[in-house]
Parts: sequence; C-alpha cells; structure tokens
Amino acid sequence: MAYGTKGRILRIDLTQESITIESFDEKFYRLYPGGKALAGYLLLRELPPGTDALAPENLLVFANGLLTGAPISASTRFTVAARSPLTGAYGESEAGGFWGPELKMAGYEAIVVRGRAKQPVYISIHDDKVELRDARELWGREPEEVQDSIRHELGDKRVRILQIGIGGENLVRYAALTNELRHFNGRCGMGAVMGSKNLKAIAVRGTGRYLDSAHDAQPIADLGRTLGKRVKEHPQSWDLQVKGTPALVGAFNAAGFLPTRNFRQGVFEGADNLKWESYETELLTARGTCYACAVRCKREVRVDDRYQVSDAYGGPEYETVEGFGGYCGVDDLQAVAKANELCNRYTLDTISTSVTIAFAMECFEHGLIGLKETGGLDLRFGNAAAMLAAVELIARREGIGNLLAEGSKRAAQAIGGDAHLFAMQVKGQELPMHDPRGKVGVGLGYAIGEHGADHLYSIHDTLLANPDSIGFKGASPLGVEALPAQQLGSAKARNYAILENWCSFGQVVGLCYFGPAPRSFTQIEEVLTAVRAATGWDLSLEDLLQIGERATNLARAFNILNGFSRKEDSLPERLFQPLENGPMAGTLISKPEFERTMDELYRLKGWDPQTTVPTRARLRALDIEWVAELLEPVVAQRATQGTCASAAGARAA
Amino acid sequence: MELHLGSYLSWYLPDQPSSLAIHLDSPIALRELVERLKLPPAEIAIAAVNGILVSLQDAQVSDGDRVELHPPNGGG
Repeated sequence: MAYGTKGRILRIDLTQESITIESFDEKFYRLYPGGKALAGYLLLRELPPGTDALAPENLLVFANGLLTGAPISASTRFTVAARSPLTGAYGESEAGGFWGPELKMAGYEAIVVRGRAKQPVYISIHDDKVELRDARELWGREPEEVQDSIRHELGDKRVRILQIGIGGENLVRYAALTNELRHFNGRCGMGAVMGSKNLKAIAVRGTGRYLDSAHDAQPIADLGRTLGKRVKEHPQSWDLQVKGTPALVGAFNAAGFLPTRNFRQGVFEGADNLKWESYETELLTARGTCYACAVRCKREVRVDDRYQVSDAYGGPEYETVEGFGGYCGVDDLQAVAKANELCNRYTLDTISTSVTIAFAMECFEHGLIGLKETGGLDLRFGNAAAMLAAVELIARREGIGNLLAEGSKRAAQAIGGDAHLFAMQVKGQELPMHDPRGKVGVGLGYAIGEHGADHLYSIHDTLLANPDSIGFKGASPLGVEALPAQQLGSAKARNYAILENWCSFGQVVGLCYFGPAPRSFTQIEEVLTAVRAATGWDLSLEDLLQIGERATNLARAFNILNGFSRKEDSLPERLFQPLENGPMAGTLISKPEFERTMDELYRLKGWDPQTTVPTRARLRALDIEWVAELLEPVVAQRATQGTCASAAGARAA
Repeated sequence: MELHLGSYLSWYLPDQPSSLAIHLDSPIALRELVERLKLPPAEIAIAAVNGILVSLQDAQVSDGDRVELHPPNGGG
C-alpha cells in the first residue's frame, strides 16, 4: 500500500567510493516522515558525539519531506543537515526550488553522504543510475558555469543541480548551497560541510511522479487546483506574490523595530530607499517561483547602473535587503542587490555574512580593529564599497575575510576586548533581521532553537495579537491565544511551544513557511487533508504537532550529546538593552521575565530547565524512548564529573 | 494627504494601490478614513502619521499628512 514515499535512502561513502540503497518501512516513516525528523534521526543514531564538523566522518544528510514534490503550492522544501561547523550543534537548513521534488521523482527520500573524496567529485543521479563523477574541472568555478557544464556533460538540460560555490570550497563556516542558482540552503554552514567532503554538486533527474506514491492522489490534486485559484483571492498570498518579503522593510521601520546598525537602532533613516516601492523601480524584472507553486514569491532582478547585477542569481529577499541595507547602514538598494549577487555567486548565507560584516563595522568604529587589520578598508557603517569588498574577502578567505569567514562568535574571540558584545549570535549563528524587542516570541526561538538564531522556528507574535485578524483566525485551530507582541509570560510560552511544533512539522514534511496558515493561505485543515491523502493514515492535528515536537527533541538530544545545555539557550546582551532611536526608543526585553518565560517553556516541553534534557516520560509519549537510553548515561556521567553541580543545586533549592 | 498601504492592505482596495493621494477639507479621525476606504481595522497593526506611531482609535489626520498603515507581518 502506498504511503507517500518509495521508502528509499541513498547512501554514499565518498572515501570508499561506495553507493548503496537502503529501504525503510511504513512503521519507521510514521515516526520520521522526512525532512528535519529523518535527518535528526540519522544524525543522532549514526554520528558519534564530538565529531569535527569538517572532518570526513561528519554525516551530510539531504532529506525530502513527506509532501516535497506534491503538486500543491509551497510543497517544495528539503532539508540539508549535519553537525554545523558554525555552531557545533545540530545544523540544518531548508530550501525550496526544484531539486527536492526532482529527488523525489528519482525515487529517494534522502541521501546520506559521509567520507571525503580524494579529489573533487559530483554525484549524478538519474532514477536508479547513481555515479560519482570527476569535478576537478568544476572546482573554483561559479555556479552558473558549473550548472551549464554538468548539463552539457550529462546531455540533459532538465537535470536539477544542487551545488556549492567558492564559499563552500573555502570552508567559510556559513557557506550555503544553491539549487537552480536561485534557491538556497543558507543557514548553519552546510555548504562548508559539503566542501570539506570535496563534493561540488549533486545532479538529479527523476522520471517518476509524486502522486504514484500517494495513498489517494485525488484529494491532493484537488487541493493543488484550489490553492492555485486562491492565491490572488487571499490577502497574504497576494502580498507574497505582488510585493514579496521586501515589503517588511517599511512595516518594521514604521513600527520602530527594523534591525539597524547591528541591532542598536530600530529605525533606519535611509529606509525609504530600501522599501518595496524602490525595489520595484530599481531592481525587479520578474517574479519567480518554486516547483508547482502558484504563490510566485521569488524575485528576479537585473541592474545596469551604479552597479552591475547579474540576472542569473535571483533577487534579494527581506533578510538580505535589510541585512546589507539598514543593518550595515547602507541605503543604496543597488549595492544591496550586488551584495546579494556576490553571496549567491559564492554561496554564502546572506544573513550570517551581513551580520558578521556589521559586527566588524562596529568593532572598527570602536577601534578594536583598524585599517591595518582590514587591509585598508574603511569598514564603517554606511560604506557600501567596503561592505562589498568584505564579501569578496570572506568568500576567498583573504585578509580580514579569513577571520570573518569564521563567523562573528569566533571572530570576536580572536579580536578580544569588548568585541563579544557586538557579535549578534546565538550558539554561534548570527541573528536574522527580526528584533525580539518588538516581538518577544521570536527571541524565545532565537534562544531555544537547536541550530542557533533563526526566525522560522515559530510564528511571529505580531500575527497573533488581534483575535479578529486573518493571521490569528488562521492559527485558531491550534488553540493559541491572542497576546500582545511584546508580552512575555506563561501564555506566550504556551503559544510559542504550540506554534514551534507546527512550524517544525512543516520542516519535517517539506512545507514552505509561506504556504500554511497563519503566515499564508493554506488552511490548517487542508494541510491535514493532504497528509492523510498522501499516507492513508488517520491522523489528527494533534498527531501533526507531535511529528513536529518529535523532530525538535531529536535535534535537542543531538545537542545535549555534543555538550550543549541551558547556558547556550541565551540571547545577546544587546537585546536586554534599550533601542536607541525611533518610536520604540528605550524599549528592551526584561531579562528576569525572559528567563521566567524560558523556564515555563522548558516545563511545557518536558525538558529539565538546567540541562534541557527531555524527560523519559516525554520521550516515551513521543514514541522515541530509545533517545533516553542515549541521554541518560551521558547526563549521569556529567553529574558525576560535577558539570551538572550547579544544576543539581538549583533543583535541590 | 498621502496614504501608504503596506503589505496586503492594498489588496482590499479596487486596483490594489500601495499609495493614494487623498484631499481632506478638514482634519478627520484616522478611524473614519479607514472606514471610508473599507479597510478592515483588525488588519491594521501599525499606523504612523508623519513618522510618528499613532493609535488607530485616537489619531486625527489632516491634508498634507503622510500616513502609513501596515497589517500584522510575520517572518520570512
């Protein structure tokens, strides 16, 4: 009986040059139905704690979700996961585009890569034909050229290619992967892991159909048509298509929490030049999309003016517009587009790159680094030319770029003094362009999230503030409460926990953040319909949330085994300090209140508030009691060694 | 006055404009302007007049003002 997958994992050992296929059964897939859950399971089971992230022994997992490739809008995402070279924690990053669906059509749910090739290679997959091919001639070349070369070599223009650029080759700790030149697994340095394995690309061609593996194809096909018609009739999806994520610049600037100059300020005086209206006139040439998605939220750009920006690598999203814009004090949208093009060309995560450069700018302005260290770059906020030069240096690991390629946390340690105060990171990963002082639940996610600061762990508080709004109504089947965006406390912790499970579920099954309610137009009941049709399983909404929660617990367990505890679940001190300007000047997060809310969040999750270890009872409820068998000896050993002494003392008190 | 409609607020108006020029003979309540335009108040999370955040319930707007309205925005 079909249940939404071919049940196959492709295993490739680059050291041994071996290729094998492994099968899993329906019982396994019920617990780990793809994406974050499948990747988390494999990493927890197979990667010894303490493995160097850039060593051949690290596992690099490419995992589709249950719905990846379904002919429904926003069902395109796949996960890339490994131990992160940026954080040392569980690392993962999702991307849309076309590669994940193509892998599904080729009949694989995941690829697990280990080892290191003797010389650069790429993997070619055409249904059951899988081979390692020589990539020596491709190493050092740019993604557009690499894509053309591989398609020419394989004699197939329709092959989908996931690859790294020189950022990954040079082991920049926040290097990304790109598929179809425009879609990125940006976060956690998965591109550096791929580079460390001498793996340049994975080219995939599949001739199957998603619906062939579905239990009942008709409801999925019907939902695909319904959503296709609804895109322009629903305000949120209309907005994503017409204005896209760059529309957030104006909203956040008006509200006073637009991350500006390394999170010092909430209003950027040059924001008018970065807004959606400017984007449309200065950059935009067309709208793009991912596989079978009618939302069409992607941006195509080209500039032939103050800067030359290629049309090959897609346009900047909000994170990038603001990251290289107000966050670096730059008000020239064309310079921002150029920075985006460079990052995409070199496969660098635009969030970590821009935030690390802003960190360096603040260090420069405080005299912690000078012209000698920057090689003559006047790295002040607002200097667009210096910002672009820094991107180039990072990608090549030249000069100051070699230090900044390590990420802001390591760079701060090397610079010393007060530099650590300017590194806006959690667990070593740089913060996205959302200020928790304006929406505190985002801060809970930054702190507690397993792979470091990320804005997609949960739903942002602003969508849930008004019980009559579209956003809140979309979320209401989940049983959340309408709460002010800046309010902490136990009710906020409860909202966060529920919505984290919902978002985590999306990352398991391959849904884009811009598909389901409350962020967008696919209603929660419709998601349930799609999952039931794909699998034939009689699942409830509670079951979907449990799938999400289970995946989070796997990642948490991975981190505990690698030495993480409560102290790493923290925010940069700056967020507990007042914003310097704008309508929210003086606003800060109360640290005691934040910590109390975190305490409540651990309680809701069934985790020890000091060690963050999930209780056996909670793991049993999630059907993963085997994880307790891994954790308990380690926790007991640490307690014996005294590393848990303070935690034990706190509990006794 | 100049009215800017952020994100999906444009969707509620005919032709879905992102900005409008509106002539006002005399100051009116912002709430009344929103009602005239048939914008749903529940979808207005941020209101600013001349760069100053205001309450939708209390604010007055006049000809020559620059008014910005934005809906609740999520991540991404």
